[in-house]
Amino acid sequence: MLINPRNVQAVARKEFYHIVRDYRSLYMAFALPLLLILLFGYALSLDVDNVKVVIVDQDRTELSRDFAGRLDASAYFDLVTHLPDERAAVAWLDSGKATIALVIPPRWTENIRSNREAPLQVLIDASDPNIGTISRGYITSFVERYNSRLLVDFLGRQGFDNLRPALEGRIRVWFNEDLESRNFIVPGIIAVIIMIVGAMLTSLVIAREYENGTMETIRSLPINAVEFLTGKAIPYYLIAMTDVLVALAMGQLLFGVVMKGSFWLMILASSLYLSVALGLGLFISIATKSQLVANQIALLVSYLPALLLSDFVFPVENMPRMMQIVTWIVPATYYIDILNGLFLRDVGMGYLWPSYGVLLFMFLVMAAVAVVKMRREGL
Amino acid sequence: MPVTTSTPEIVSVKDLEKRFGDFTAVDRVSFSIDRGEIFGFLGPNGAGKSTTIRMLCGIITPSSGSGQVAGYDVVRQSESIKQTIGYMSQKFSLYEDLTPVENIRFYLGIYSVPESRWDERTGWALGQARLEEVKDRLTRELPPGWRQRLALACALLHRPEILFLDEPTSGVDPITRRHFWEFIRGLAREGVTVFVTTHYMDEALNCDRIVMINEGRIVAMGSPGEIVAEACPGEAKATLNDAFIRLMTRTERVQGPG
Amino acid sequence: MNRIRIREIVRKEFIQLFRDRKNRPILFVMPFIQLLIFGYVVSTDVRDVKVGLLDQSRTRESRLVRDAFEGSPVFRITHRADDPRELEELLLRRKVDIAIKIGPDFSERIRKGETAAVQVLADGSMSNLAGVRIAYTLQVLETLNQDFIRELVPQRIDYGRIDARARTWYNPNLESRDFFVPGMVAVLIMIISLLFTSMAIIKEKEVGTMEQLIVTPMRPFELILGKTIPYILISIAQMVAVTLFAVFWFDIPMRGSAGLMFLGVCLFLISNLGIGLFVSTISATQQQAMLTTFFFIVPFFMLSGFVFPIENMPLVVQWLTYLDPLRYMLVIIRGIFLKGVDMTVLWPQYLALVILGVVVFAGAVGRFRKRLD
Repeated sequence: MLINPRNVQAVARKEFYHIVRDYRSLYMAFALPLLLILLFGYALSLDVDNVKVVIVDQDRTELSRDFAGRLDASAYFDLVTHLPDERAAVAWLDSGKATIALVIPPRWTENIRSNREAPLQVLIDASDPNIGTISRGYITSFVERYNSRLLVDFLGRQGFDNLRPALEGRIRVWFNEDLESRNFIVPGIIAVIIMIVGAMLTSLVIAREYENGTMETIRSLPINAVEFLTGKAIPYYLIAMTDVLVALAMGQLLFGVVMKGSFWLMILASSLYLSVALGLGLFISIATKSQLVANQIALLVSYLPALLLSDFVFPVENMPRMMQIVTWIVPATYYIDILNGLFLRDVGMGYLWPSYGVLLFMFLVMAAVAVVKMRREGL
Repeated sequence: MPVTTSTPEIVSVKDLEKRFGDFTAVDRVSFSIDRGEIFGFLGPNGAGKSTTIRMLCGIITPSSGSGQVAGYDVVRQSESIKQTIGYMSQKFSLYEDLTPVENIRFYLGIYSVPESRWDERTGWALGQARLEEVKDRLTRELPPGWRQRLALACALLHRPEILFLDEPTSGVDPITRRHFWEFIRGLAREGVTVFVTTHYMDEALNCDRIVMINEGRIVAMGSPGEIVAEACPGEAKATLNDAFIRLMTRTERVQGPG
Repeated sequence: MNRIRIREIVRKEFIQLFRDRKNRPILFVMPFIQLLIFGYVVSTDVRDVKVGLLDQSRTRESRLVRDAFEGSPVFRITHRADDPRELEELLLRRKVDIAIKIGPDFSERIRKGETAAVQVLADGSMSNLAGVRIAYTLQVLETLNQDFIRELVPQRIDYGRIDARARTWYNPNLESRDFFVPGMVAVLIMIISLLFTSMAIIKEKEVGTMEQLIVTPMRPFELILGKTIPYILISIAQMVAVTLFAVFWFDIPMRGSAGLMFLGVCLFLISNLGIGLFVSTISATQQQAMLTTFFFIVPFFMLSGFVFPIENMPLVVQWLTYLDPLRYMLVIIRGIFLKGVDMTVLWPQYLALVILGVVVFAGAVGRFRKRLD
């Protein structure tokens, strides 16, 4: 099949007019990506700091006050108030005004000092499991460190005054030193944007020709499937790549999300992934011939997987085995792996080539499937 | 409430105007139609025929001027007009994914025809449109001429006093067109006023009275014979077609240099 | 208002909706697939943390460190490294989440009463998870620390410790599913009701049937009711089906009142239908309507607290979330499912939905004209 660049150009130009003439397409192409980047950069975060704590101190000793004081001084917690009883604490949890309620029972200090059981009741609002998990991790870790302190203090009073901790964890965080969720969310959102422009918008373009009856005319033209599909894809390719560059620039300038790896590797990966998306969108469009259905299917197979099944927000390792296997066929999985490598780990082709390989393979398959389907439809 | 019911005029329009931005689609037209008349609205494409009809039916609002249809004001009482009129547009505008019976039932409901009369009216409409055989097929599957008959029947379900037809016969074969005009004349005999736009001159001969419109302005008014006589004085063999062409080019000449 | 007219519009709408085969998968299959994916996928729990270990000491003490991690329900030692490069490589290749290095002089220092360092390298890419992993690592090490100190001191230590008994309320097993699936019910209702309402009206405009409706004596409000009632019914049916699916398939407990949830969904629908109606007034084609709808759905979704907690947002954005009907619906639906709370806690959410719904719906109806120009 020979490709006539003029045919491609003609289709691309026509498609481009469609986009430019309807401000809504432009919205989707440019404003929505910007909105997403702004939202994710400024507003949306999975990090939890300053967990709100309420305390019911039924012991009222120097120790229980010291405990509360150190908790409040910790960077992780925010001691909101003291409450008289557990019922009041539960009410605070119910209304969502506090995440953790601590109940220090009567004779707590006495029990510690005489080596009896000294339970500390920790009630955690786990209705948001992310916050619940983080809060539980923080509070149990805090209590354990407080225990070490108590022990050393006690031994100090017993005469072991230059006792030092036996071991100490020296934590170094790699790849995302400040533990900012935007450092991994902003790259991830680029993958979502590419799917919106590449697959969701393009899923409408051929269905629209069918619904408006213009497909008949196109069939009668001396244009082949490859030329037609390439022409349809080009404007969206350009728009999506512009979005990627804008997202990169905004990430860096506004949010300080700096890509450590190679810019050109990033462009190569984005091109490959975007091409997969375009192939997918066009295929859905040809197969459904209905804008509404195409839109819904594209939502299901492009947008949602990019958001959910790609190690973007929800870790793949937590998913059941079946779902982990499903993630292998989600293109975003590989793109996000590459972005993670380029943005956070600063690694190169030596580490990332398998993901590039899979994306290239996916692109070839998707393009072939779309072209074959288009030819079967008589083009 | 109708202002007057006794006058013979069922439609009267004065200085009706519609502008879309800088473009004046209808430029201060005035005319009136008598009860039971077949009234033709002639003009080339884009002359303002559809815009006029759509203002009279309350689909769009006039920019200025006034008009009455069946005694109701077209600007302030357009909703009251709607119970008394039937309307069929040049584009088929019933539901293609419903069957003829379902379409009829829908419009019976919309026009609040009493439910006791639904069976009778459905039978009447199917008979008029000659669609009894295909009453449960999807409308989409019917030939264009048949669909047009269904649209006409649906526009008459509520027995309107006046029927607006916007290029009803475009794309319809000559035999169907003849049947169509026989039907229209029958309606007029029963006292229904018919307002029809067309650019087929042979069809226009069926009209009692004609208005010719070009670039939003009325260029001639009267019975077909009067118009021919006026536009082509002294030419015995002149047809309505000749008159039409002459009138249309005349206005162009007038507007050209000025 | 004419009852027969509304009835006939509803009837027609249902015929059209179900006659078009392409609508069936969207209405009947899609919601369940989405629910399934969400139910199985979403989990931000921290468990099975993969640990890479480099033990250069190989003594009793270093083995105790290893045992402590292996004994913890949170960690799993998946890789052993032989030198620091190999350990770092494990992290770079994302084979492990945490790399632990025990230096050669580890035991020596402990025995001498000095502080021995345990090097912990954490992959911080998913910061929220990394934070928790680090907290748990520290907790394991701190417990060990106390054990070692007790060993170092030659006498019996008659001093207790605080035993933190954490109870995670509302969601005792920290099941992300219990959190996300009820929320998904609300999201699905939003998507379907918004999209289909706007499409139903736009289709009339696009096909040209709107013009025919305009010349009938039907009132705009009758058209609006006739067009929205089918989607109210469908949304409610969907709510019931999806809720039953959530309860019986995913075993998600429903602690509160089904009646309250029903009421919530009805109020929620008012805003959605209003927005759908509004979209239909500013769009001329189905494509425009879809794109515009998507433009609403995405921010509504992101700002609702569905995934990203509202408390974490900057104050200005937090104010914006008050305009998001999904925000209130999520609080209601999660409150009813997880907390089993009732009107005494939820009334502000209901009130907000009523106010928002009335304002949006009235605004959209006001914009909706039975005219074409």
